[in-house]
Amino acid sequence: MNLRLLYLLLAVVLVLWVLTPIFLITTLAFSDRASVFAWPKGFLPQQFSLETITFFFGVEGVWKAIRNSLVVAAMTLAFSILLGAPAGYALARYRFAGADSYRVLILLTRAFPLAILAIPLAVQFINLGIYDTPFGVALVHTALALPFAVLVTSSLFLGIPKELEEAAWTLGCNRIQAFLRVVLPLAIPGLAATAIFAFVISWNEVFAATLLTLRERTLPAFLLTSLNDSPLPFRFAGGFFLIVPALIFIFIIRRYLFTLWGIANR
Amino acid sequence: MAGIRVESIEKTFGKFKALSGVSLEVRDQEFVVLLGPSGCGKTTLLRIIAGLEYAERGRVWIGDRDVTQLPPRARKIAMVFQNYAVFPHLTVFENIAFGLRMQKVSAEKLGAGVERAATLMHIENLLERYPAQLSGGQRQRVAVARALAVEPEVLLMDEPLSNLDALLRLEMRAELKRLLIESRTTTLYVTHDQVEAMSLADRIAVMNTGYLVQFDEPMKVYQEPANTFVGGFIGSPPMNFLRLPVEGRQARIQSLALDLPTGVSSQEVLLGVRPEDLEAHTQQQPQSFPAEVLVVEPLGPHLLLTLSFGKQHIKATVPPDFDVRAGQTLWLRPQPDRLRWLDPSNGQAIPMR
Repeated sequence: MNLRLLYLLLAVVLVLWVLTPIFLITTLAFSDRASVFAWPKGFLPQQFSLETITFFFGVEGVWKAIRNSLVVAAMTLAFSILLGAPAGYALARYRFAGADSYRVLILLTRAFPLAILAIPLAVQFINLGIYDTPFGVALVHTALALPFAVLVTSSLFLGIPKELEEAAWTLGCNRIQAFLRVVLPLAIPGLAATAIFAFVISWNEVFAATLLTLRERTLPAFLLTSLNDSPLPFRFAGGFFLIVPALIFIFIIRRYLFTLWGIANR
Repeated sequence: MAGIRVESIEKTFGKFKALSGVSLEVRDQEFVVLLGPSGCGKTTLLRIIAGLEYAERGRVWIGDRDVTQLPPRARKIAMVFQNYAVFPHLTVFENIAFGLRMQKVSAEKLGAGVERAATLMHIENLLERYPAQLSGGQRQRVAVARALAVEPEVLLMDEPLSNLDALLRLEMRAELKRLLIESRTTTLYVTHDQVEAMSLADRIAVMNTGYLVQFDEPMKVYQEPANTFVGGFIGSPPMNFLRLPVEGRQARIQSLALDLPTGVSSQEVLLGVRPEDLEAHTQQQPQSFPAEVLVVEPLGPHLLLTLSFGKQHIKATVPPDFDVRAGQTLWLRPQPDRLRWLDPSNGQAIPMR
């Protein structure tokens, strides 16, 4: 009984830990200037107002940064699925020499600190002419999202019995037809979850985006560079717009991740 | 319709030799069962015929086409998998129609084909359902209907009944037999269940450790096993093998002397005799030998006795009303026309006459 109470307490602390900043940011993003600076702050937003938000969107460069962020995230999503899913499929379906070390190697790319890579990468990008472009940032974000994409899709494809594909082959499909007609429909929920996760990784990534862009900033990079010399309400509104997409996506993913587990456990 | 012919198929997985030169011929419209313990290579052979695995050596013929190099889709086969492999995202109708859609048949032919296959398997009222809404037995029916719908030249089945519970398996076994007699499709059927093999097959191909051991009609395989493996694997309880001394042209069991086929020159010989071919008597009989009862197991239709004869154990079945207790001595009279002689050095049967 005591243990149960302890768990409950721990859960409450954890929930508060996560929710308090989100709550503060959200309420203050929708309050007027005065309440942003007010102390002590009330529990509920006192003065509902779009003043802060309007001000945020009024700042020069915000819209461009949002557009850049969307473009980069969409490219990251597409690259991660197009490169990650085939690799995951190969890992799931074929036994080849070095398959296991390949798995570890994929994870190692995640362990490699981006800070060491950043300067040579910037130099190389300048030489290639993709410095300060959404495409260049998307390439780095893809590298970050890819390990996740490969490992998740591989477990996803492992969860789809090989016999289903073989049955399709015996019924007149070639390999590609069998994949499109049988494997893909069953993999869609998991692939969607993978895609959304890649999107969120890109949307929230700030380090590479800051180093590899100058004028074509993504939203996090833009906010980071302008944070120190901007007023407090601007920071709250900016924080709000960084959190929201991630939150929405995690809610969507949640359902898909359960579906993914359902497939894996069948 | 077509027959199947495989010639000296060899297949290794890493260091494990799965098939060591297997040759087999299935006649047109014949039902052949591949029977053997797990790991004997029977499923591998089936998958090689389906084109899902490729053999290192040997050829596969379906009808008069050499299909050794062809992918599964070009072999005009259909396969039923052990775990059914019914597509979970498609309705029963679409599952059965899958093969026909790949052949791009006309809409009315498609409807008629699905209708026919569904009616054969008695699942015409389930066509709108998804596999998740079906029981194991119903999924099994969908899998068979899907295979039959494409009217394959050859039907391959990989332990299709092994995932069903005992009662359902019995029911499906009888139904499969009816179905395949009706459709007269050449069928190759893999199982490790000897009762299933006996009940379904026109001929049984017994496999062990990558070799084809015996290929014959069920009753022949049962009564005249090619070696001790077949005699021991088929039949429950298995065949008895008694090691007996040879005296001239006869083998001796105490006072009982049995004539041997010609050409036996060894000191000893193995007598293979089925438990039901030993007639038990409480009194001494001519043409019999004594053995002491160790265990009596009442099994319903008969009693299963374990007896000791010297240091060797013998299984015998007697009628359920036979009055016998452990420790009693019985006289066993082997049926003279049901005896099988084997060479104790290699376990191979010695040909009669």
